[in-house]
Amino acid sequence: MKKIITVFLLALLTAVSFWSCEKDDICAEGTATTPSLIIEFYNRDNRTDPKNVTYFSYFSANLDTIGPLNSENRIEVPLRTDTTATTWNFRLGSSQLGEITYNTDVITFNYETKELYISRACGFKSYFTLNSQSGSTPQPVVIENPEGDDDLWMQDYTIEESNIENEDEVHVKIYF
Amino acid sequence: MLKFIFSIVLMLAIMPAFSQEQKTDTVQKPKTQKYGIRVGADLYRFARSFYDDDFQGFEIVADYRLTKKIYAAGEIGNTKITVDDDQLNFTTNGSYIKIGFDYNAYENWLDMENMIYVGFRYGFSSYSQTLNSYKIYDDSGYFEQTVVYPNQEYSGLSAHWLEFVGGIKAELFNNLYLGFSVRLKALITDKKPDNFDNLYIPGFNRTYDGSFGAGFNYTLSYTIPLYKRAK
Repeated sequence: MKKIITVFLLALLTAVSFWSCEKDDICAEGTATTPSLIIEFYNRDNRTDPKNVTYFSYFSANLDTIGPLNSENRIEVPLRTDTTATTWNFRLGSSQLGEITYNTDVITFNYETKELYISRACGFKSYFTLNSQSGSTPQPVVIENPEGDDDLWMQDYTIEESNIENEDEVHVKIYF
Repeated sequence: MLKFIFSIVLMLAIMPAFSQEQKTDTVQKPKTQKYGIRVGADLYRFARSFYDDDFQGFEIVADYRLTKKIYAAGEIGNTKITVDDDQLNFTTNGSYIKIGFDYNAYENWLDMENMIYVGFRYGFSSYSQTLNSYKIYDDSGYFEQTVVYPNQEYSGLSAHWLEFVGGIKAELFNNLYLGFSVRLKALITDKKPDNFDNLYIPGFNRTYDGSFGAGFNYTLSYTIPLYKRAK
């Protein structure tokens, strides 16, 4: 009996000291956190036809530029969680006679956010709902030209899924 | 971790006292043992309230001797703690009660009344959680993490759990005991705040994997003798 109790006490002490190592303090990779907006590009003339971007890069405000991307038709666009609108610059390049000319369009996403608890290590995540297309709120997607740039390269968009809760589905399709 | 090392060192310091007691005094005396109620306080929580600005709490412990080896035992306490994690900052505030039994496995000599014991407790706590701030995690890392200060209080929360206890109690002077115990805990049920979690529960301490916990106490207690009984 005494032996069993001694072993039990030692086991208890060991377990308690191991547990104090706090293993669940790092947000594990693969945890579903705040999703990015998923955009796929399609051919404006044949709208079911995926179209790859060329010499494509994008950035928001004065932050880092993502890209350049060539021959991809799907991009992930992070949205701001501290406000309800995020503006990105989408720059598409086209090669003519060995020279690349760029066209930048400014695209703004308007949405609402909803915050959800994940875990101690990850904190919270945000889901987004793009504004409805009819209504008094700003349009979900607004495409504009920056100053000194004459035409838009993005012709049209469709909203495939206005609830942005994961990165498995396509949320917006852009035609060019 | 330091606190555990400290506790283990203390326990090792007490251990030899047990073995020495066995060697001395072999004169046969009438064997009677004291029965009574022993009350005390946890020194760790008491001390921590002074040196840790984020912690305020106390724990009162008591046991009542039922038979030669079995004691009814319990603790009541109050804890207010602010936990500052990377992604979250919250304050837990509440009270708890634990009741159960201890089994003394130590074979005392003569009129010694030390204990090496195991036991269990049923624990209940009633508390509130206040979410002071949190960060919104975005693994793309493109924009800076947003910090939100909701200052939201979730009150009327409660939890039930089971505790396995192992510990020692050594009589320092007449009727005055120094004790140390470690506890492993398993949550039975808890009422979670809406869109948040019970990351800390008074009496249960930090929750691991949502339902496991650990803890210890370090007590000074005094026995109020009620009667004596032959062994």
